[in-house]
Amino acid sequence: MKGISQSGVSNLLEHLYENSTEAIFFFSLDGRVLSMNKAAERILDPQVAQLMKAGSADAICMACKGFTSVEEEQTCISCYMSDPERNIPSFQVFLETAGRGTVPYTGSIQMIDAEQGIRVFMLRDLTEQFKTQETLHQKTLVKRVIKAQEDERKRISRELHDSVAQEMLSSLVDLRVLKYMNVEDDVLKKVRQTEGSLMRLLDDIRHLSVQLRPATLDDLGLEAAFRTHFKWTEKNYGLLVHFTSNMQSQRFEGEIETVVYRVCQEAVFNALKYAEVEEVDVELLLTSDVLTLTVRDHGVGFNLNAPTYKGTGLGLFGMKERAELVNATLSVQTGIGNGTTILLTVPLTKEETEVENNHRG
Amino acid sequence: MASQAAFNYQQQVEEIRQAMQCDFVALALVQSEERHFQIRWEFASGNLSQRFRRIILQSGKGIAGIVFKTGKPVFAPDAEKYCTKEDLYNYPIIAAEQIESFAAIPLFKYNRVKGILLAGCRKNNCMSIEKFELLKSLVAPTFGPYYSEELTRK
Repeated sequence: MKGISQSGVSNLLEHLYENSTEAIFFFSLDGRVLSMNKAAERILDPQVAQLMKAGSADAICMACKGFTSVEEEQTCISCYMSDPERNIPSFQVFLETAGRGTVPYTGSIQMIDAEQGIRVFMLRDLTEQFKTQETLHQKTLVKRVIKAQEDERKRISRELHDSVAQEMLSSLVDLRVLKYMNVEDDVLKKVRQTEGSLMRLLDDIRHLSVQLRPATLDDLGLEAAFRTHFKWTEKNYGLLVHFTSNMQSQRFEGEIETVVYRVCQEAVFNALKYAEVEEVDVELLLTSDVLTLTVRDHGVGFNLNAPTYKGTGLGLFGMKERAELVNATLSVQTGIGNGTTILLTVPLTKEETEVENNHRG
Repeated sequence: MASQAAFNYQQQVEEIRQAMQCDFVALALVQSEERHFQIRWEFASGNLSQRFRRIILQSGKGIAGIVFKTGKPVFAPDAEKYCTKEDLYNYPIIAAEQIESFAAIPLFKYNRVKGILLAGCRKNNCMSIEKFELLKSLVAPTFGPYYSEELTRK
């Protein structure tokens, strides 16, 4: 720092002004552009740039599409240019650019010469950061949606199971009483038929409840829920699932169980829908610090690098998002004609490991 | 009961397939109350695999479930249009037997759907209106203990 003279600093500033990718404008008190650097010229529409250079007042408004306030994303209310006394270190502004459409920038405006009322207005391109932020935002959003969906399913499933099905059962019992009363034969036959319909309805409600979210998962854990689910897939789709597990009735945190269950469900469904197989292997292995789920089919497989989506293409994405919820990793091994293996590895919670460590200590 | 035992479903199903010139014909029967009225494909002709035997449907699920629930026949000359790719797995018999074109009709007993007869081809648009009518006529007015139509009360 010592070595640079005053003229050296001006020299550097000049370089900065000429070569910076940040757009720099100098404004006079009445809003005319006194000077603008190359970067500023580059981003603006040539016509607008000409007008600005010519010193037309409010020329900036032809390019500016508003800035972001707490009320609105793009607004002109209490414009950053309106009050010369107000220095704003950073705000978001949208500019109509040459060839790139409306692009968000971080702007800053400050008085640098109070006597002559000269202000500097600087712009920094935000597109990249915006994209990153948006992706990040989307990811958190997806996770929230997954969670909200799961909670809602749980609620409706409980409601169906605990209240609707119970009510149905008591009316069924009432109806059965009729059979033991002194009624005529054709009435009795009708009662039997109605009883049958009601029983079917009750079964439908129970199935609906289980399909939404199996109560077994919350009450008895993963293994029981899987066994019920695979029995169901066999019945409904004719798909045989060979299930092996070494975890018996071990329980985990609710969220982990949900993730493992849903990922497995999705993976088995994928095999059913796209692999063109009749049998799937599912393995659930518990070691001291990880829980691994393997879903393997010997079906048609697909090209992982250039998948042709037969469905929405969201299944795999959803599985990954779900896995991230519990810091688990999901890997897919497949190739055309090689079948598909989905491997989910869930690290078990720290507390659990710590508890074990304490035991050892 | 004696007539029911004498009725050879398997043979009938084979004969229908012959008459219809179809690739696949199957008969699903609704199980008794003790078995929760499940619907199973009991007899089939021209099947590719034994997978149909594993399929047990609930009311409203699959082709048989829909015919059972509505009591109306299903006519789908283009199976892909009827059950879209996204939804195909919900029609396991169509997927398992690779059916491209089919029709299914209900069979009644005591005014309730007790059976579902499915005829399908592995070729698109093979099931024509004429074949559909033929299928209906083959089981009319009775098919074993079943009626082809819901009987109005005497």
